[in-house]
Amino acid sequence: MEAALAAAEPRTGPLDFELWVTEKSDALLRFAYVLTGDRSLAEDAVQDALTTACARWIRVSRADDPEAYVKRMVVNAHISWWRRFRRREAPVADPVRTAYAAPDGAADRAESEAVWALCATLPDKQRAAVVLRFYEGLSYAEIGELLHCAEATARSHVHRALAALKTTLSKEGAEDA
Amino acid sequence: MPENDPEQELGPKITAALQNQADAQTELQKTGLAREARRRVRKRRQTLSVAAAAVVVAVAIGGVWNLATGGSPVASNASDSGSQAAPESAASGRATNGSGLVPPKVATGTACPADHPILTAPGPTAVPAGTGLDLDMKVTGMQACRYRLTPGATGLLGQERFSADVAQQVVDEINVLPERNPDLPVFKCTPQAAQPSEAIVLRFDTADGIREIWVQYDGCDSAGFFTGTHTYGLYAAPLKLFMTGEVRPPGGTYLNALKGWYR
Repeated sequence: MEAALAAAEPRTGPLDFELWVTEKSDALLRFAYVLTGDRSLAEDAVQDALTTACARWIRVSRADDPEAYVKRMVVNAHISWWRRFRRREAPVADPVRTAYAAPDGAADRAESEAVWALCATLPDKQRAAVVLRFYEGLSYAEIGELLHCAEATARSHVHRALAALKTTLSKEGAEDA
Repeated sequence: MPENDPEQELGPKITAALQNQADAQTELQKTGLAREARRRVRKRRQTLSVAAAAVVVAVAIGGVWNLATGGSPVASNASDSGSQAAPESAASGRATNGSGLVPPKVATGTACPADHPILTAPGPTAVPAGTGLDLDMKVTGMQACRYRLTPGATGLLGQERFSADVAQQVVDEINVLPERNPDLPVFKCTPQAAQPSEAIVLRFDTADGIREIWVQYDGCDSAGFFTGTHTYGLYAAPLKLFMTGEVRPPGGTYLNALKGWYR
């Protein structure tokens, strides 16, 4: 991903679009799913990104990392949805834990579910920043570029999300104890 | 660093949670993505092509239209010969283009010129020297041409052909008029409002060729019949002889103050 954000080095020839999509669609869809938290939105975002990529495939395929390039398009598609449906977003006051730790040794899985559920309650930009940071492993500068904000703002998004998650998990942990 | 603590503490958990969720998504639609992308791109390009083609066709039609209207002086010359003075009334209700302008009858030789000098004249009173009608001349026919004078949207609004009898009646009615009609109001207005939005050119067939009278009835500068050498006031008697069909205006600054100008 980092390489894609750097200057792209030309390849010797363009990739075949169909073959490339077949190979990368799974990774793109999974990324879109953790980004959007919704299967339909994920599929739509990937389809929109692939349509854009198809229209300019020669350029995209010559990038150093076409997958990162298209993931960036997915993020942009998702951001555009935010803008389009911003009024429809319902603000959530505090993250709510919807899954509880199982008492039978499946604690790790339960905690994973709980973190996922808590991520779903984050505001969209915070969630996107968290996904880009911890799923894609991007730097704050790269996140800021993708989310069209300053690096400090990207850092703020992630830290606020972490603070909210930590508070909720600590509270729930105390209640479980 | 203290600010990295939350990341170090929660980061691995979040990464694991996101990874687990991503790995669990096996029902996402993975087939047909490339095909659908190509279909959408093709559709977009088709839409763009259609739009571009529409623009090209529109421009081409405009160009052909300009070429066609640019050839009208030939038709005027034909009219000048006086050979088309047969008394007949031109068909009314002809099709107009999108801007409400009427295509000239280029082929018949009796068309009103689409690029008539009145469209570029400083005003409907500025009849070019040598083209005005001497009202003592015998006329054998008349073509009435109604033009829109709005800057940037000038053009022919309508045209009607009249017999020798009607043409002579028009001339006779004008010939007895005073220089101005004192019953018409006098306006004070801005130079922009003074310009008429339309005017009529009466093209008479004479032994010397086509001779004209320009008729001004809109704006607030002046009104009347202009031959270039003489000015006659605007009265209803001659107007109602030719303000019919395509050359009957919906109104005008002075027409609105004049009664009985249409039949």
